Amino acid sequence: MYGISLVCFATSYTAALGLEVWCQFRPRRILYFLGLLFGAAGLATQSVYLAFQRPVGWMLILAWVLAIFYLYGALHYQRLAWGVFVLPVILGLLGLSLLFGPEADQLSLPDASFWGEVHAALLLLAAVGVCVGLCASLMYLFRAWQLRAKTLPGRGLRLPSLERLEQMNRRAIDWSFPLLTAGVVIGLFLMIQHPLTAWTDPRVLSTAVLWLTFLLMVVLRYGWRLRGRLVALLTIVAFLLLVCCLVLGHSLRGGAT
Amino acid sequence: MNLLAVGCSHRTTPVAVRERLGFREDQLPRALDALTSRLDCEAVILSTCNRVEMYVGRVLDHPTRSTALLDGDALAGFLAEFHSLPIEEVRPHLYVYHNADAVRHLFRVAASLDSLIVGEGQIAGQVKTAYEMGQKCAGPGPMLHALFPHARRVAKRVRTETGISRGHVSVSSAAVDYVRQVFDHFGDKTILVIGAGKMGELTLRHLRRLEPRRILVANRSPEKAASVARGCGGEAVPWERLDEMLARADIVLSTTGAPEPIVTLERYRRIAAQRDGGPLVILDIAVPRDFDPRIHDGETTCLFNIDDLKRIQEATLADRRKHIAPAEAVVEQETQRFLKEWRRRRNGPVIERLTQDLEAKREDVVRNLFARLNGRLTEGDRKFIEYAFVKLQNQFLHGPISALTEDQPADASGHTLLDALRKLFRLRE
Repeated sequence: MYGISLVCFATSYTAALGLEVWCQFRPRRILYFLGLLFGAAGLATQSVYLAFQRPVGWMLILAWVLAIFYLYGALHYQRLAWGVFVLPVILGLLGLSLLFGPEADQLSLPDASFWGEVHAALLLLAAVGVCVGLCASLMYLFRAWQLRAKTLPGRGLRLPSLERLEQMNRRAIDWSFPLLTAGVVIGLFLMIQHPLTAWTDPRVLSTAVLWLTFLLMVVLRYGWRLRGRLVALLTIVAFLLLVCCLVLGHSLRGGAT
Repeated sequence: MNLLAVGCSHRTTPVAVRERLGFREDQLPRALDALTSRLDCEAVILSTCNRVEMYVGRVLDHPTRSTALLDGDALAGFLAEFHSLPIEEVRPHLYVYHNADAVRHLFRVAASLDSLIVGEGQIAGQVKTAYEMGQKCAGPGPMLHALFPHARRVAKRVRTETGISRGHVSVSSAAVDYVRQVFDHFGDKTILVIGAGKMGELTLRHLRRLEPRRILVANRSPEKAASVARGCGGEAVPWERLDEMLARADIVLSTTGAPEPIVTLERYRRIAAQRDGGPLVILDIAVPRDFDPRIHDGETTCLFNIDDLKRIQEATLADRRKHIAPAEAVVEQETQRFLKEWRRRRNGPVIERLTQDLEAKREDVVRNLFARLNGRLTEGDRKFIEYAFVKLQNQFLHGPISALTEDQPADASGHTLLDALRKLFRLRE
């Protein structure tokens, strides 16, 4: 693995975050490009790490997808505080991965068959949606706070408009819910066919709670036409449940290795 | 260089005087013609609501028909005569800048450092228009043809290299900044205009640039509503349907002259219950205010009143003030660059002639010397002698050329160093 460890790319992302924060308060092109460079370096080293590392961790893959999302946003919304909200989520996932050990969040498939892989891929994509929703929700809440305080335009952290953030969160939920539902349904069938995991397994239970939270969000969003802060808060709850799904099972089984 | 900038501005002169000294567009050709022929000079007149300035120049080594001195009094006399005012009334209000100071002043004006609102972008365009008008009337000569395009480049450099023109300084344009914090695209948005104030018209002009889907206008007077709607391509709605329209609108611009708030908290709660769309942005620029300030929650309802908009204006101006020093540094740098370029341009032909003349003489002397010493010199000796003569020529020319590149004002009789050099070295024209 060319001596690459999790600490290498975590350090790159931390440097990118520091530069991003600095750039928000002292806007300089050089800071922006340096931040981008560190972010890209982190992504490159993480890619190499994931290509050779076995077993592969859920949280590492999630962090990797989010790093791509960060670079896309940083290039697309050059003047906005994109990284200030996305990079801490990436670092949080890397921190959890480091805390619980590489085996803690490894991809545990109920079945190594084709459907087992589809189940895992769908859950992973749904998890990416939840993470994107989390970033959008955090930015939404911050933007709403800025508006409530009537912060002068262009002062403080620069963010997309309230409308754009609400739309981003809505899309993340719209994409995640069907993926999560399909993943859960396939998982149920696999469990019925090959009962390797108990129904009371904390991962199964927390996934069920996560799906119910999503269902609640969808009902509130489209049934009750609820928008804004409550949906953003529920997305944060969904992310916390996702983290629980990823780490709870292992910690209840005996802690990090 | 004999350049003069004479004029008055908002800094030195009250508007009552400025408006009497200003030139209307139709007066400018006549004024330029009179000025250039009277003083036998090149000229550009810059006349805006905040300043009236005349830039006149005369290239020193050019023969002049006029015996009139190019000074502040001559220009004050022209200005007073043109506007049929006593010179005593005009002269105290005028400032006069000579040569390098005149160049610096024009650059400061073009870069909007001398404007009422520092960093405003209009003045650079006005300077350009003044120069173009001068060109139409054959006002500018070689000096002003070099100066005014340079001023435009200075204005551009100051604008791009410093933050002096960043942000919005008018209340109406600042309103758009707030709206953009909430909305991203406007093709599906409805703007509701309540009232028909002057400030409202200006703000609406800025909001219309966002290209909203629909503009609705509500006014107690149906005629006024129809008139405003016609002017902005919107549709008038009856005042009685105001609550219904508020429930449908995405952006509200309120500018009524009502003495009491027209939308109280209780009334707004009833309206909000009917809303099923996204957030509502209310720009309440009426004084007294039209909306109860308690309806602002920063999420479903964002209410910004005139004080909030003025805060943007003040913050922008404070920000711009921080950029004055870097902008002044750019102006100073460009002033020195212009003066250096001008001197080089004016003295270049003389320096060239002087160098060519001495070179011809040197080559002649060396040729004669080599003919006299023919057969007694090695190749190395010949090269050394040639080098020694070139070095002597360069040392000899160094003093006069350096003196020419420094600013040399004319003496009392109008003679310059250039004239002296021509005479001393018998340079042909």
